[in-house]
Amino acid sequence: MIKGGYFFSILDVDLTSGESNVVPLDEKVAYDYIGGRGFGARFVADLVKNSRKRIDPLGPENILVIAPGPLSGLYIPAAGKNSFVTLSPATGIYGDSSMGGVFGVELRQAGYDAVIIRGRAPELSALAIDDGRINIIPLPEARGKTTLETEQIVRQATGDEDMKIASIGVAGENCAVFSCVNTDWSRNAGRIGIGAVMGSKNLKAVAVRGSKDLPVHDLDALMDVSREGYEHIASHELFSFWQDQGLMSVVDYANTMGILPTYNFQQTVFERADKMNGYIMEDRYKIGDSACFGCSMSCGNICLVKEGKYRGTVTEGPEYESAAMLGSNLGASNFAYILKANALCDEVGLDTISSGGIIGALMEGQEKGVISADDLDGKTLNWGDEDGILEIISKIANREGVGDTLAGGSRAILARWPQLTGILCQVKGLEQSAYDSRAAISMALGYGTSDIGAHHTRAWTVARELENGENWSLQDKADLVIYHQNVRPLFDMFGVCRLPWIELGFPEDYYRRFYAAVTGVERTMEDLLACSSHIYDLTRSINVNLGISRKDDYPPARTFEDPVPSGPTKGSVVSREEYEKILDIYYEKRGWSAEGEPPISL
Amino acid sequence: MHLTVIPERCSGCRVCELACSVGRMGVNNPKKSCVRVMVLYPHPVIRMPIICKQCGIPKCGEGCPTNAIFRENGIVRINEEKCISCNQCITSCPFGAMFLHEDLEYPLKCDLCDGEPLCVEACPKEALKFHPKHILGQAHRLSAARNYARMSKVEYMDGEQKKILRYAREKVQKDD
Repeated sequence: MIKGGYFFSILDVDLTSGESNVVPLDEKVAYDYIGGRGFGARFVADLVKNSRKRIDPLGPENILVIAPGPLSGLYIPAAGKNSFVTLSPATGIYGDSSMGGVFGVELRQAGYDAVIIRGRAPELSALAIDDGRINIIPLPEARGKTTLETEQIVRQATGDEDMKIASIGVAGENCAVFSCVNTDWSRNAGRIGIGAVMGSKNLKAVAVRGSKDLPVHDLDALMDVSREGYEHIASHELFSFWQDQGLMSVVDYANTMGILPTYNFQQTVFERADKMNGYIMEDRYKIGDSACFGCSMSCGNICLVKEGKYRGTVTEGPEYESAAMLGSNLGASNFAYILKANALCDEVGLDTISSGGIIGALMEGQEKGVISADDLDGKTLNWGDEDGILEIISKIANREGVGDTLAGGSRAILARWPQLTGILCQVKGLEQSAYDSRAAISMALGYGTSDIGAHHTRAWTVARELENGENWSLQDKADLVIYHQNVRPLFDMFGVCRLPWIELGFPEDYYRRFYAAVTGVERTMEDLLACSSHIYDLTRSINVNLGISRKDDYPPARTFEDPVPSGPTKGSVVSREEYEKILDIYYEKRGWSAEGEPPISL
Repeated sequence: MHLTVIPERCSGCRVCELACSVGRMGVNNPKKSCVRVMVLYPHPVIRMPIICKQCGIPKCGEGCPTNAIFRENGIVRINEEKCISCNQCITSCPFGAMFLHEDLEYPLKCDLCDGEPLCVEACPKEALKFHPKHILGQAHRLSAARNYARMSKVEYMDGEQKKILRYAREKVQKDD
């Protein structure tokens, strides 16, 4: 019997009819799927199961689930996360992406465990959830507006400055398949095209205000664990360094380890990394710290360009992925430009990882002569061409010229230019995150078997393998990937951030204790991990249902074909034979068939 | 003692709101706290906790038609017996540092947790400070003294490192 953590209320909104219902949340679903990404996976599985025809991710039949978790908004470290779950227009299969900030907290305080959005509004609109009052507000004046401008327009339309808003930019309106949804200035649910799904539904923004007490079974018990937890995090030797640099500290780490994406993942060490690292940011650009709700780590860096061409550019960011993918991966080291490109992506609502991956592939494609200037509207894109990069980002968002193809993501790009197959780093249609995997086969396996495509947060094993994995067997490496794939969904299901755990070694057992205090249900870690392992099987099952099989579980071609040319990982490349072996081991350990089918049904 | 806000240090995490609502009201609800973090961007960029300054001449009290607001041992309090929930105090406060919640009969107002403010203890960025009054302005005083323009200096070696010692003293003329 669950005694806290849930309102047991799901808001179900049909944008086509404008009707909304509150549906009770079944206690068994709350127990088995926990919340956040777990709920989203369940609802998307139901959609796929109950649909006779194939669902177009950009059609009104697709659903968008917005789900914080039972721990979101509570007084525990970094509990400000919120998942967006849907069928992805980038990959055509299951997809989710999460954001920090306060949006999910506000949604819970409005009294909902999750929101399911269906259909398509007759005109560009905002969905306003003001405690129990639901309103769909036509917002034609917001067309073409940036995410920040949209926040203001929505606040005016609702007459409430306190509304917390998640909005899309012009890229989302135009259904660019790697467009994001943005909140709190610079927090994005960045990957797999959540923005495009909102755009396809004519949903420019979701605005939320909530005032309810969050349900906690034993607040005193929670506070005991929580105080200990905050102290544990603050006592870490790198805590203040983390507050100073946040994820920007990873630039130096990745460069030193030889895994920094450089010149479109050709190289792994960038000769000018010291021009774009965390110290440069701290010394010359940082003007303030920023944190998500309830988080002491404040990994957000507010940065301002004070002089030169990009003077006046101010944004929260970049974090590591953005800096690497828009910087070293494109041969660009000017930090002021990186800030500008990051701010532009936030304004138009494009994912920085996919943008950097795609533009990098175009640059290498032109360098190698497999695509021409004519292919890119008469432009030659050279490494580090700041103006060219910024122009391409705008073109993608607005679907101008070649931007129309590029906005279709990897699948559309490879359909038009199959010759980029060995150059564009992607899995299942999602562009690879900013960690080279050639020196760490577990990372390659993580990318290959990720349910949403080549994204690092499913199994970020590269550091562990490079630091400790010298004598590991393929079994050990497959185990590490599965461990990550199983433990990481828990964070998204609880509605908390994984960074205290992965970056500052915050023990995962704390979350079991938080969960027990909040819900009044004592569960073992094994039991909770069984829930998240089931989520991984379930999303795989959705994907198998949509045509995914072993053939789709391979890392980008470069991982097998091009040995790292220089640096500490020089010569590294993943052998196909080894990969086939580890994939067999992985499937077997997961209990999947040799074709990668899990033994469960939707 | 005085509760000081240092917005330059605030990250906008709102742990202060959580600490206040849990500690004072016994619920996990930042909307029921006596401190609110204002987050503005990008023009201007600022994150600032708004909290009662326990004014010597409380404007909230001046506006109160029933004299329900009183000052005792440096803390401005609401006498709930006298309060008629007209909310005049909330609009009278020049800082907007009193709050309403629809579940609650009386306005939310900081009482410094009777001398040990939970928000100060919880703030991970030291953006909230609880100081003796004589400390107020100390940071500016120190900065003014450190940055005094007409300092003399002497260079010296500390082991291998060259260091500079600065001092303020008038140069004495030999002949004087």
